Amino acid sequence: MMLDDDQVLIKKILAGSKASFEELMKKYNKKIFGFIYRMVRDEEVAVELTQDFFIKIYNVLHKYNFEYKFSTWAYRICYNLVIDYVRKHRAYVDSLDDDSVSQRQMLESQNYVNEDGFEILAREELRDYVWNVVDSIPMKYRELILLRYLQGLKYDEIAGVTELPVGTVKNRIFKAKEILKKEIEKDGMLEQ
Amino acid sequence: MACLNSETIQEYIDGELTNVENAMVRDHLIVCEKCRMEYDYYERLEKYLAEPVYITPPPAIERNVLNALFPRIPALSSVLSLIAASFILVVTWIYIYFDFANNSIIQALQLTTDKTSNWIASVIQMISAVFSTVYAVFKVINAFVDAVFKINIGVEIIGIFTLLICTAFFYLGSRLVFKKIKGTNA
Repeated sequence: MMLDDDQVLIKKILAGSKASFEELMKKYNKKIFGFIYRMVRDEEVAVELTQDFFIKIYNVLHKYNFEYKFSTWAYRICYNLVIDYVRKHRAYVDSLDDDSVSQRQMLESQNYVNEDGFEILAREELRDYVWNVVDSIPMKYRELILLRYLQGLKYDEIAGVTELPVGTVKNRIFKAKEILKKEIEKDGMLEQ
Repeated sequence: MACLNSETIQEYIDGELTNVENAMVRDHLIVCEKCRMEYDYYERLEKYLAEPVYITPPPAIERNVLNALFPRIPALSSVLSLIAASFILVVTWIYIYFDFANNSIIQALQLTTDKTSNWIASVIQMISAVFSTVYAVFKVINAFVDAVFKINIGVEIIGIFTLLICTAFFYLGSRLVFKKIKGTNA
């Protein structure tokens, strides 16, 4: 069986290589932290959950099945960790949802429109703006957008991570983009 | 053909449609400006989503994970330094506990004198001389603080405080020395 780069690293980690685990952590740290941070919107919690994720990954690595992609397996563990946290701290996470919307509105009014009211958005600012809107949509949709675009997963891989049917994943992502479009249109952004 | 719904437009962008459906949507987009605008909007949105903004993770994450999974065994230099510092503490404690300043133990040793206890008595006398001097210095400090600030700290408190500081310095100093020795041998 041909092993991909991740699987070669895992073989080495299972053989006791600390350096390989460091390499794996370096590779996934940004994506995992980014995903968790955008889900929980609290840096301290995101740091804690990211650490828990890597420790868990290391401890259950012997259970990994080499027939499947490592990233999908890892994202599933990460997803479950975040969902568990969100379920236990629903009220807190919801309060951050409200904060995020008001923060976005503040950001828009301050940074994205000049004194005359004309949009002065550069490409990077527009991209930041779009991702700020992503942060403000309900979690049910946000999580799928993050898995699709932040983690770069395909629809069937997202279905594997979230344990939702592929059809539901697609529909929710379409719905999520409709919500994004409506929110962005309200601000008069992304128009040609 | 009726106007396209947003789902079909998104499927078209994703390349999820069959060849026939693809051709129908393409033809419709040529003739329908409203749907074309909708398509352009989703395409722009797709473009920005496809360039995610990553937040840089704090470096503490990797460090904490590695510390949790691979706890560091204390270096030999730390262990030796700790033993040396503990030795100082124990000697001082014995000195205070047996009240060597009164020479009672020394006298007891000299009463049951033999060649072994003679040299032990000399060592204890030496230590006693050092401690007596230090004790005298503490007394002076205490008297000075009492005279100037009207605060009587007490010789014992000054002694314990100084002892702790000295032990800490001794520990750090010993670590440096041991590290240096280790570095020279390597």
